[in-house]
Amino acid sequence: MSLVVDASKRDLRSISTELKEAVAQGPVTVKETAHLHGLVAGFKSGEVTIEGDGGDYLGALNAGATIRVKGNAGRYLADNMTQGTVIVEGSTDYGAGPYCYGGTVIVNGDAGDFTAVMNKGATIIIGGDVGDEVATYMLAGDLVILGNAGKNLGNYLIRGNIYVGGGWESLGHNTLLEEMTQADTTKLRGYFEQYGIEADPTTFKKIVRLSEKPFYKTKKAA
Amino acid sequence: MPSVNGTFCVTVMKDRCINARMPGKCATCVEVCPYDVYALDDDGSVYVQNYNACVGCRICAEFCPEDAIRINPAESEFLVRSPWTFPQVEEIHHKAQTGQYQLRGFGTMGYAPSFDNITVVPSQIASAAPRDKYREECDMEVVIGEDTCEHPIRMQYPFLFPAMSFGALSREARMALAIGAAQTGIISNTGEGGLLQDESWLIKGYENEARTLKQWEPGGHLVVQWSTGRWGVSADYVRAGDGVEVKIGQGAKPGMGGHLLGAKVTEEIAAIRGIPIGSDALSPCRYYDVQDPEDMKRMVAFLRDVTDYQVPIFFKLGPSRPYADVKACVEAGADAISIDGLVGGTGASPTIVTQGVGIPTVALIPPAVQALKDLGVHRKVKLFVLGGIRHGLDAYKALAMGADGVGFGAAAEIAMGCRACMACATGRCPYGITSQDPELRARLDPVEAGQRLANFIKATAEELKILTMLSGHDNIRDLGEEDLRATELNTAAITGLKLIGYEKRLPWWDNGRGS
Repeated sequence: MSLVVDASKRDLRSISTELKEAVAQGPVTVKETAHLHGLVAGFKSGEVTIEGDGGDYLGALNAGATIRVKGNAGRYLADNMTQGTVIVEGSTDYGAGPYCYGGTVIVNGDAGDFTAVMNKGATIIIGGDVGDEVATYMLAGDLVILGNAGKNLGNYLIRGNIYVGGGWESLGHNTLLEEMTQADTTKLRGYFEQYGIEADPTTFKKIVRLSEKPFYKTKKAA
Repeated sequence: MPSVNGTFCVTVMKDRCINARMPGKCATCVEVCPYDVYALDDDGSVYVQNYNACVGCRICAEFCPEDAIRINPAESEFLVRSPWTFPQVEEIHHKAQTGQYQLRGFGTMGYAPSFDNITVVPSQIASAAPRDKYREECDMEVVIGEDTCEHPIRMQYPFLFPAMSFGALSREARMALAIGAAQTGIISNTGEGGLLQDESWLIKGYENEARTLKQWEPGGHLVVQWSTGRWGVSADYVRAGDGVEVKIGQGAKPGMGGHLLGAKVTEEIAAIRGIPIGSDALSPCRYYDVQDPEDMKRMVAFLRDVTDYQVPIFFKLGPSRPYADVKACVEAGADAISIDGLVGGTGASPTIVTQGVGIPTVALIPPAVQALKDLGVHRKVKLFVLGGIRHGLDAYKALAMGADGVGFGAAAEIAMGCRACMACATGRCPYGITSQDPELRARLDPVEAGQRLANFIKATAEELKILTMLSGHDNIRDLGEEDLRATELNTAAITGLKLIGYEKRLPWWDNGRGS
């Protein structure tokens, strides 16, 4: 049975201190957290469920915890995550999954501008639409968008894959539309089955980098 | 091609040169020069094949067994051809030939307002009597985060090695900084290139990873940087520091993100940073996860939470609007602020930016200090001044103007052996300090370089002690503007210090100026 913590009118330090102790004992549910920014940051393990909406920077620096948000999450969800899973049943705002090195972010609804910016290895799946400048300067990992994307998708993409089920307003610099392979389809089908997503992977488009070095042209490794 | 930093005359004195007498017997200059200035012809004779490639590092002269090489700058160019000096002509040719602007490291060259036009006022009969440097103690400790953290940083001296990343610097140079800091009880900052595991135990004075052999006392303090590129950053990384620095900008390229050119992104660096080998690592110019000052407060709040409220939070600023920027850092929750001047800049940057963007270091201090005073946190939130700080005299002047400490970036590189050839960005540092080439890196012994850094810090601390005590103080926190005078009008106008002879501040400083 999950321990339930009411966070209303409490500050980050007090609720975080209690959470750090509680997750070692088992799953924890936290209510009334929308005013708290940076909740469940840097956890290495544990299961935390947020009842209702979450604040900004939820699950920042996540290093192994599983975090589920029953409502919507604020900006900068799972900022700089390295391991673990963050699932949002609603939507998120600006900059979901920025700077992540690993782990998985699932947003069932929509996500805002600059989603997956500088992604360096995480799997980020957005069930709805995303905004502009999504996956800017992405260096590794997978971004899966079931809906539509805005302007400048994948701007200065360096490495990693962007899969889009719908369309986009425009692609950014250094992007290339590439044929989906069997391996891509299998990978997406695996994601969809694992997270209970209803979608046909064969209908997705794949965007990759055009060049590995789009900035300075003439340097080589020492 | 390396940046052309100046015209250097390369002279090999044939009467001394072993190779000139016995072709094939010595080619040390050919071997040590990373820029191919020298070459061997078919019969083994050394010749100078490219004068223009010489960056003036003088490693050839240093290693020549017969002292047969002279490298001299063609300084007269600046007198007779300015503004169309040879370097300027070459810079235009470079752009015309390649379509690319030039990059270089090592900060602003040439004249900028500096500490040199400020003099120290010694104690005599009308002021507090001088203290005896040889027989009395001088308190130089700086404590950061005393009222806000469970584990404040206690620095033995008011000095730090500022952010210079692994990538910009070699592994050996990063290790040397840790060893130097361990021997002197000061801070070494990782910069934004991630953390070398060796650093975390070396900086505590341990010779081995198991932390069973303590080699260096008293042990230093590691500050890990949190920046806009977030290279190698994780919860463990943040927790590995004795402090966390939030980087806003730097002197080399304020308003731009860090540049690590692909030439320096080796397999090891690529692995730490999570980028392809040889890829240019260009940090964004701003945080993608901060849109306003309120976000910055929230970011500081979760960094404190992730570190269990144990360690202080630093901010690093480039030279922009010091009063407003320092105020914003305090409001965001800073325990310490480093502000980097125009002259600062060990990092690679477009030449026009490093040369012409930002406020000179000396001019940053009065508004920065005023901001701290207006918020009632002067001497509580610590202010570190960076950018062109060379010795104890510069440090004394910065402290007397209201700073709590200074940082040594370029000076630390020079202490390790650098000759300021400004070719750091090429990855071909002749002394292995800013290179990732294994052959060049092998020239830098981290323990020896660490000892040199410790010697430099200790000697500089002695200089600061001399100046503090001859001006009547036994504590660096007691230094003040009355201990200084500006020696010319411009510096008096910039700093608000009393002007020599006039013995007063210039009038506008007493009429509400300062914010």
